[in-house]
Amino acid sequence: MSFAERMLKIDRRIIFVVIGLCTLLPLLYPVGLPIKISSEVRGVYDYIEQMPERSVFLLSIDFDPASKPELYPQAVAILRHAFRKNLRVVTMTLWVSGTGMADQLVTQVAQEMGKERGKDYTFLGWSPGGTAVIINLGQDLYNTFPSDYAGKTTKGQPVLDGVQSLRDVSYAVSLAAGNPGVEAWYVFGKDKYKFELGGGCTGVIAPGLYPLLRSGQINGLIGGLRGAAEYEILIGQKGRAVAGMDAQSATHLAIIVLVALCNIFYFSMRRQARRQGERS
Amino acid sequence: MIFLRRQLPLLITMITGLVFAGQYYVPHPASEQVLTSATKWMQIIGGFALVLGVTSLFHVHAAKIRRKEAGWGYSVVLYAGMLGTIAVGFWANGKESVEGVSTAFGWVYNFMMVPLQGTMFAILAFFIASAAYRSFRARSREAAVLLIAAVIVMMGRVPLGEYLIPMSGDLSQWILNVLNASVRRAILIGVSLGTVALSLKIIFGVERSYLGGGKE
Amino acid sequence: MLKKPPSVFLASFRSSTYRAYWRQSTHPLASDRSERFERSSVCTSLALHSLRPCRRIFLNFLLLIVVYGVSSTIVLAEDQLAQPAQVQVFDTPNDGGKSLTVVWAAGSQDREDVRYEIWFGEVGDSIEAGPLKVIAEFPSASHYVRESKHGWWTRVGALTDHRFIVRDGKGIELKDGVRYQVAVASVRGTERLMGPKIIATPQPNWFNWNAVNNLVLAVLFGGLVFYSISQAKKKEIFLRRIPGLDAVDEAIGRATELGKPILYLTGAHDMSDPSTIAAAVILGRVAKRTASYETELMVPHRDPITMAVCQEITKQAYLEAGKPDLFKEDSNFFITSDQFSYTAAVDGIMLRKKPAANFFMGAYFAESLLLTETGASTGAIQIAGTDSDHQLPFFVTTCDYTLIGEELYAASAYLSREPVQMGTLRGQDLGKAVLLTAIGVGTVLATIGGIFHAEWPQLLLELFKDVK
Repeated sequence: MSFAERMLKIDRRIIFVVIGLCTLLPLLYPVGLPIKISSEVRGVYDYIEQMPERSVFLLSIDFDPASKPELYPQAVAILRHAFRKNLRVVTMTLWVSGTGMADQLVTQVAQEMGKERGKDYTFLGWSPGGTAVIINLGQDLYNTFPSDYAGKTTKGQPVLDGVQSLRDVSYAVSLAAGNPGVEAWYVFGKDKYKFELGGGCTGVIAPGLYPLLRSGQINGLIGGLRGAAEYEILIGQKGRAVAGMDAQSATHLAIIVLVALCNIFYFSMRRQARRQGERS
Repeated sequence: MIFLRRQLPLLITMITGLVFAGQYYVPHPASEQVLTSATKWMQIIGGFALVLGVTSLFHVHAAKIRRKEAGWGYSVVLYAGMLGTIAVGFWANGKESVEGVSTAFGWVYNFMMVPLQGTMFAILAFFIASAAYRSFRARSREAAVLLIAAVIVMMGRVPLGEYLIPMSGDLSQWILNVLNASVRRAILIGVSLGTVALSLKIIFGVERSYLGGGKE
Repeated sequence: MLKKPPSVFLASFRSSTYRAYWRQSTHPLASDRSERFERSSVCTSLALHSLRPCRRIFLNFLLLIVVYGVSSTIVLAEDQLAQPAQVQVFDTPNDGGKSLTVVWAAGSQDREDVRYEIWFGEVGDSIEAGPLKVIAEFPSASHYVRESKHGWWTRVGALTDHRFIVRDGKGIELKDGVRYQVAVASVRGTERLMGPKIIATPQPNWFNWNAVNNLVLAVLFGGLVFYSISQAKKKEIFLRRIPGLDAVDEAIGRATELGKPILYLTGAHDMSDPSTIAAAVILGRVAKRTASYETELMVPHRDPITMAVCQEITKQAYLEAGKPDLFKEDSNFFITSDQFSYTAAVDGIMLRKKPAANFFMGAYFAESLLLTETGASTGAIQIAGTDSDHQLPFFVTTCDYTLIGEELYAASAYLSREPVQMGTLRGQDLGKAVLLTAIGVGTVLATIGGIFHAEWPQLLLELFKDVK
């Protein structure tokens, strides 16, 4: 077996170690490279920025702990922005396994920004039905969520004053790791009940949502950790996402180097085979 | 019997299929109400269906333990984990925290589920790297084009890439916004037509194999 | 009523044709006002700097006064704030009720400094009884009928007219069957001119004519599919090779030779998703082959209802293959609906049981690569079929064969060769041809419309507009 062949059949655990080191080292020794703001992230930021005070902003935290590293920083940055703009923030989740995490997240950011539950924000929790919940919310919010996650009756909460259904929401953002997520919020929500919609998602599914963005079905898209880092820069509060960008840079570079190496070995192997063929 | 197994389900499918296809064109609140009721029915049926699933799960793993199949110990762990979590969940009334204090259920959620799920998702990065190393080769011109596009997007999506090759950011945006979006739309058109055709076949009873194969 | 300066009253006696004449007489590229002021200044300079007899000076001076007076009158006429004209208020057509539409003609005053206000209130015992309040205010050069997404067949008012929709919610309460009065006001600074109060009643509608193009296209496509099915029953239809499906037999054969099981996944969605239905249909064909080859089949599920349906399908397949005794009730089993717990369990099955062939059909998300990469490490033949376009790169990289997009739906036709299935495929292809033609023709029409500023291409283009 030639060197190139051996290298191509390398134990994948070696690759795992390389990726592990590329993630760990930049986290321990950050470099802090500049991050450029993309138009799709700015779309969400600008919309929230121009919303009048006490407008109703709905944040659907449609992910579970598995996607926490990518979507949690997005949620924190958006919540900080919304609270800073004094919007009425209504939060919920369509993913049952994300309920506890979402509650902690919303409570933590609200406390940090000095906001009061029931007056400035609420966390409605989770209701069974997936996409059906969006349809039900479009009909009547109080029927879908008679009480919030803390068990308090939703009707009469100052944060929901004048809000009867999704039609009364000024802007909604779904931070999604899959289905139900941004697409479901468009098909069953925005399309039927006419409110502006933005999206946030994991890096893996972001390219799949670009057609929605291009056709104006969503007005902005925060994609993966990079999107979260851009949002953190926009609001001027660098957090976990900006810190993680160096690690992401290093892993991307490592993968590019690995792909380049594998191609070098592949072509050298092909040349060897051709030479052997010519000799015989 | 054949009526209950064949004709009745087909009839229900046809009626509900046509009603809900028509519902899309009726903006009246009564039509919205029908949709809301149907979604609630779906939720209820979905809830009962979970019983089916859990029964299947218990049955499969009970058989494994009984037969002492290879890896039957994992089935015991599954039983313990499932029953334990249900018990803790009932005890904590399904709440992860009460007035800011974490419950036992919250402990299970925060210190078992969150890290385990995070670990599973994190493995993705390692697997992407190994899969790319193993199979991302410029075997043909088309593969070479894909490879170059992938490298540009990978460079353009991280600050280091933009720092080393400043135009990679704009190029990757262009690839994502123009090339990627148009190709995805093309796939989406095909998929949507397939979906509509399949739905029509199901509604009109032309496609019946989902009821259990067989023609009649 | 707000007080107006006398000059405005004076100007208001001029006929509209007089104003129009003056506007037409100016240079098309010059704005009315600047052109006039420029001309007067030239006259002034000529009059003051030429050394001519007094009479000439006097006449020039007189001319100057006349020109200045006329141009001032015109400027004032254009500065005049007019009340909104041709105001119509009616129930918003084709909607679920609780909404009124206000349409009024665009005026010459639609400039930056002029705004429109929408006044709204309930109707009491008499029209005057109900108090009106401002519910919206916006610049006069906005809210046009042309901005609405409606097609020409449901549009009310001219494209240049203004349009505003009063909807229930966001601080406004509208009930169906209740009479409301609406008025439009023109506002400039502190000056306000109210239009007439018009009464209208919101009502829900039973059919959305906006979406009638959608219905027609759906019916046409349905007709095309059923026509193709009837044609397929009469003559054979060519179907191109799908390598991924040719490999199904190879994969099952390999598993039989090695004496190893086959793993079949139906995806992340439930039975309401067409991709899951397609996956279940293909499972029937695969199960029939595994039954005849007497190979073990494992189908772990994420959804209990899908599991129950697939159990039935598998049972039927074993019956049809003449091997009902080989059917195992627990070949279809439920694991969990949680994404990564399911993935971990299936990865475990792959590593322990080492299936010879893995089938990934249906919808997938981030778990796709975790599943297929583990499968690849065990050396199994892997065949994927998904309409989850975002996961296609992972499947293409790690699987031996991948069915892309609608190939998943074509699979059951390919495997069964039944006329009904083949006809459906032909119908889909015809539908695609129609869409491609529409895209091509639409692009040409839109370009023509853009170049020649013609409106007629819009009439055709709007037929394909997605209006809800």
